[in-house]
This record gives sequence, structure tokens and C-alpha cells, in this order.
Amino acid sequence: MLAIRNLTLTLPPGADRALAVEGVDLEVGANEIVCIVGESGSGKSLTAHAVIGLLPRGVAASAGKILFDGEDLLKLPPAQMRRRRGREIAMIFQDPMAALNPVMPVGRQIAEQILAHEPVPAAQARRRAVELLEQMGLVDAANLARAYPHQLSGGQRQRVMIAMALSLGPRLLIADEPTTALDVTTQAQILRLIRLLQAQRRMSVLFITHDIGLVADLADRVVVMCQGKVVEQGAARVLLEAPSHPYTRELIAAIPRGEAAPLPPPDGAPLPPPDGAPLMQASGLSKRYRRAGFFSRRGETALDNVELVLNRGETLGIVGESGSGKSTLARCIVRLLDPDQGQIIFDGQNLRGLRGGALRAARRRIQMVFQDPYSSLNPRHRIGHILTAGACAHGEDAQEARRRAAEMIQLVGLPPEAMLRFPHEFSGGQRQRIALARALMLKPDLLIADEPLSALDLTVQAQMLKLLDDVRRRMNLAMLFITHDMRVAAQICHRVMVMRRGQVVETGPTRALFEAPREDYTKALLAAIPGRGAQKP
Amino acid sequence: MSCLRAFFARPQTLAGFCIFSAIAIIALAAPLLFPRGPFVIIGMPLLPPGAPGLAAGSDVLGRDMAAQLAYGARISLLVGIVSTIFSIGIGGALGAVAGYYGGVVDDLLMRVTEFFQIIPSFVLVMVLVAFLQPSLASTVIGIALITWPQVARVVRGEFLALRQREFVAAARMQGLGDGRIIFGEILPNALAPIIVVATMMVGSAILTESALSFLGLGDPNLTSWGSMIGGSRSSMWVAWWTMVLPGLCIMVTVLALNFIGDGLNDALNPRRGR
Repeated sequence: MLAIRNLTLTLPPGADRALAVEGVDLEVGANEIVCIVGESGSGKSLTAHAVIGLLPRGVAASAGKILFDGEDLLKLPPAQMRRRRGREIAMIFQDPMAALNPVMPVGRQIAEQILAHEPVPAAQARRRAVELLEQMGLVDAANLARAYPHQLSGGQRQRVMIAMALSLGPRLLIADEPTTALDVTTQAQILRLIRLLQAQRRMSVLFITHDIGLVADLADRVVVMCQGKVVEQGAARVLLEAPSHPYTRELIAAIPRGEAAPLPPPDGAPLPPPDGAPLMQASGLSKRYRRAGFFSRRGETALDNVELVLNRGETLGIVGESGSGKSTLARCIVRLLDPDQGQIIFDGQNLRGLRGGALRAARRRIQMVFQDPYSSLNPRHRIGHILTAGACAHGEDAQEARRRAAEMIQLVGLPPEAMLRFPHEFSGGQRQRIALARALMLKPDLLIADEPLSALDLTVQAQMLKLLDDVRRRMNLAMLFITHDMRVAAQICHRVMVMRRGQVVETGPTRALFEAPREDYTKALLAAIPGRGAQKP
Repeated sequence: MSCLRAFFARPQTLAGFCIFSAIAIIALAAPLLFPRGPFVIIGMPLLPPGAPGLAAGSDVLGRDMAAQLAYGARISLLVGIVSTIFSIGIGGALGAVAGYYGGVVDDLLMRVTEFFQIIPSFVLVMVLVAFLQPSLASTVIGIALITWPQVARVVRGEFLALRQREFVAAARMQGLGDGRIIFGEILPNALAPIIVVATMMVGSAILTESALSFLGLGDPNLTSWGSMIGGSRSSMWVAWWTMVLPGLCIMVTVLALNFIGDGLNDALNPRRGR
């Protein structure tokens, strides 16, 4: 039904390469789910955007054809393309919050889409919108249709987006990383929904993802892209079991298995030191966020009586979905946020209540790697300055700090010349290495990694994970590893603590927790791991 | 470099930049071009532009209009630039502190800012200048005092957004002091909008100065575009150039500054749209 022939897309001058996509050939048959897999920069998203005629400014198709029912979409005049968009081909995006109009109830947005294409009375369009929302598995659809996007959860918003995309009964649905911003359990539900709708409506789906782990559950056929080229394509089962191209093999090898088979297995949790004093112990930590409204004061509990013990040389994983309070916990421990109640004893000293110089001295020993490498490095400073500023603030000689920074940058696998460059000259993975080097510069005892991998590609994730574990061993660090991804936690953590809505659900040694989870919520999290869930019906 | 190219990409910006540079050069070179100063009577009054030796004609008292315009440019630009520097200094510091600390500090500083914003600003500056005796210094102080709240608002907004960024949390974790974080980490990232606001403010400060001088509240020992217009009220019906030429100077300068401001806004904005 859809056939892309020799598609070539050129990037504007000054980009890192001349062609975004080079000679891509692929097909999507009727009633088929095709996955395009590739890392960031592989051109998978641009290929999809070219199909629906929404290429960003500066990117143009210089050769090739996109045939939809034998008609070349690249040659269609804009008005005709607009008529096909939505009616024949629909698209859903990664971030439904950005794709929905924030000041209009979602039901009206769906109705508007229907009205734009079909001459039906407004009341009928609204009724159809509610029906669609029901088909998306949303309960109480009539009320939900009156809600604004910000009142919905991420999963609900993505369902609304899918309802909107399907409102005109398109024959081809393009899904551009629709589950990347969602929690694992929600992701599993949305994938199930897409599969179900595809089967019911007998439509074709072009599904774009960076996570080859999703593919096994979803795709009929897989197209692997790398650096703007298709490196391999074929039936999903065949390709996953016997990949022929080395890049595909690398991608598959980088899938974190949802099993407790960590890197050279974290030789069991190191036993607590004989004197019995853990490096850090938090007890009774609670934190409420207050929303001060004009008429009302509402609160939201982010942490509820959290207990935590961490020994030297140990990696403790904190796993939970968004809103579970795991990041709040990290920020309370380092006092970027102030907990309302509780104690944080770090090496015999209570961190709560510390101020000024004493807090600064304690923080030197606890360092943090943040989630977003694009925002955690100051874009206006050179790497050398970023690495040495902290050491200098703690009174280290500038010369000495630079010397150590050069060592540290090599330790994380970058050349010393990197010190002279600015953050924007590095990729996400390299930036995360720099952020790690910055944390290590202060010779901490405890490293807190707050979702350090979530912004990275799978192959880069695997490298970063190995680096973190290496560094932990070499420097005998304790590590608090925060992640939403059970697969990642399984690889690096000695012990795992599962959190939900600010409370600790379950804590235990990684292997025991994965093999015999005690709590239902943990079981649900494990079941939602892509590749482990239900097989395609 | 790409930033410079983006800056000059729009013809208005290039034109604004050229015009402003020309005016600045004339202002700087005024003592060389007109060594006798602006107040010397050099001939008959009210000679039209183009009379021998008088490119811009003469005024009611027979003084060279061209010399007065050149010297006036010195005052207008001086007042515009110096008062903007003061205003950025005060507004920037208060806005940064309010935005960075938030909470009570923010509330307090913003109420003070609002206090200045709710007073009709031109009346305030008039009263102030009259009270302090009309002089260059009092004009600069007056203008800085009524314009800083605008800067404080912009800077506070930037700081509110930037302090949420992870590099600020990272800097705190690294043990940097608040002063270092405010001025060393956050401020460099907030410079773009501050520069844009500053450019626009130089223009509006020139307008305010002209209005004050027109009302006779400028420094009586200096000539400025505003005082030239004020002084030629009686002759405007018989000698249009005495009023139109300084008026044109003000208009062209402010327009050039606004073009530059728009260009800077586009060039410094990371999401360079058009």
C-alpha cells in the first residue's frame, strides 16, 4: 500500500551530514505493522515525516518516490496532500502534550478534526468523538471529552491522540515513538491498544522506535536504519533471531534483558561493614509539595515515610514510574529539596539541618549525575571550566584542578582536548560522560545517578552503564541508581527498591526481586518489560 | 560567526546598524567638525538649509544648526547609553536576586518594582529632575530610575526559568556559592534578552531626554535635540527646519536602535525561526 522508493532527503547546509536519508526503500503492505528501528540521527523520523509531507524547514526530498496506492505523495500539490492527511494517513507523535491544544477540551479537538474533513452536524461529530474515546479503552469517556489536556495523564493523552488520528478512519497510521515518554506499564497498554486497533480496523501501521526491544511484541516486519540508510529489513521473527547485519546484531545485543543477569554479576551485595554502620541511612523521609492557590491550598505527597540503607561499594537501584517520588528522594538526600520530616544520616552526620559551609562540605562527598545531559552542562562554559569550577570552589589550586580534570576526562573515555570545547559540540552520550567526570572531580563517596541513561540511545546506554559500573568499582563508590527501566536496573544494581506514589513498595537483592517478586505492583512492572509481555495475538 | 551572519541577514538590521554607527561617529567627531562649539553665532538668523557654509541652516539666534545637531547627538547618545547602563545594573541585580531566591525575597522586590511601575513614569522623572536641579546627571538618574523595573521583570523571568535547569542544581552540588551561580552560571545564559532590552531602552531613553529638554528640564548649558525643538517653538511657522531637523534626528536614531534590537533578538534567540 505504501512504497518508499530510493528516497533521499537533503539536510540544510551546516548540518553534520549532507543527506538525512539516502536511498531508502521500504514497503508497508495492507493490514501490516512495520517497525522502523534506529538510533537518534538515523533518519527514521524524517522518513516518516516525509510520508505525511511534514518535513521541517530546510529538509527536502531530492530524489525518490513515496507511492501511496501507486500515487507519488511527493508530487501532490499541498491542497491535495492536506486532504489525504488525517483521512488516508494519520500520525501520532512522541509528546502528546505538545501535539494537543492546551486551551481546548480534548473532545472538541477530536470533533474539530472530523468537522474539518466531513460535512456533518457539530453534535454528531461530538458524539463520534466520545465513541472514539470509548474505543480507546478510556472509562467515562463522556466526561473525559470535556477535560483539558493538562488534566489527563500521559497515557490518557496518548490515547486521545490515537483517537484523534483514527477519527477519520485512515488506512495508514504512522506512529513516531508514541510510547517513549510513557511509563513501562502505560507503554505496554498503549502497544496492546495499537495492536488491537490495527487488527480491528485492518489498517497498516508504520511504527518508529529507537527501542528494538518493543519490536518483537509488535511488528510483522522490521526495517533497521543507521546513518540515513536502511541496513537490513525483513520479517520480524527472522530478523530478530538471525540478524545478518553487524549493526542489527549490535542493537539486539544492547537490549537490556529483563533478567537479573547483570554485567559480570555484581558479586552479590557487599556485606555491611563489620562495625555495622552503613554509609547512608535515611529514615522516615517525607515531603509534600504545596500548591498555593488563591483560594485553596492543595498538597501532593511526593515522599511518604521512606526508609533507605546504603552500604559502601553498593549499588542500590530505585525503580518506579514517573510521579513515584524517586527523583524527589534523590533531591531530598542531597538537600536540593528540603524534606518535611525524617533523618538522613550520612557517615554518622545528619544532613538535615545543615547549612552554608557545612552543607557544602557534606555535598562534596555526595555527587550527582543528572537526567538530561543537554541541560545539566552550562552551555556558556568550556568543559575545562565545568570540570574545575567545583574543585576550585573547594579551595583546590587551579593548576592542580586542571591536571586532575584532564585525567578524569580520559577516565570517562574522552580525549583531554575536550576540555577546550563547549558542551554543544558533544553528543548526548559524551555529555553524560562529562557530567560523570564533573561528579568524580570532587572525589565523592556516594554517586547519585538520576535516570542517567534515559536520554541516550540503547547502544550508548550499554556503554554508559558499563562505565558507571567500572567507575564504581575503581573508586569504591556507593551508588544510588534511579531509573524507570527495570531492564537497566537488573544489569547494574546489587539491590533494588521499588517505589510507587512516594512509598517504598518492596526492597530486595536484585536477583531475588526479579525471580520472586512479593508485591503485585512489582509483578506488574516486570510483566510490562517489552519483550517479556504478551506475544502478538 | 553564524550569529553575526544571522544578525546582518535582515536588511533593516543592517540599515539600523549603519545609521546608528554614522550618528555615533558624528557625535564623537563633533568637536573636530565644529571646533567653535554649538552656541557661537555665525550669521543671520533663520537662514534655510543650503545657505553658504550652513548645511542645515541657522536658528533663531543665527547659530549653526548643523553644529547644534552634532553636539546634540553627543548628549542624546550619552544620556541614552549611560542611563541604560545604570538601569540594567539596578534592574538586572534586583531581578536576578528576586528570580534566583524566589519566595519572600521575590515578593518583596517585586512589590518595590511594582511601586515604581504604578507611578506615571514621566511625571516622576519631571518632578525628580526639577527637584535635583536640571543637569545631565539628574536627567540620567531620573531616566534610570523609571526604566529599571522593566529590566528587573525581564531578568527575573529569565532567572525563574533558568534556575530550574539541571546545570544550576549541578553547580550547587559542586559547592559553588550563590554569587558565583547567579553571576557566573545563570547570568551568561540570560544575556541575550538583556542585550535586546538594553538596545530598545537606549531608544526610549533618548525620547525621554528629548521630552525633558523640550520642557526646559534639560541641562541649560548643553544643547540637545529636545532643547532645540523646544527653543524653536516660536519659529516653526517661519523656519520649518529648526524643528523638523532635530525631530528627524530623534526619529531616525530611535528607529535604528529598534531595528538593531529586533535583529539582535532574532540572532541571539536560539530557536532561530525565520
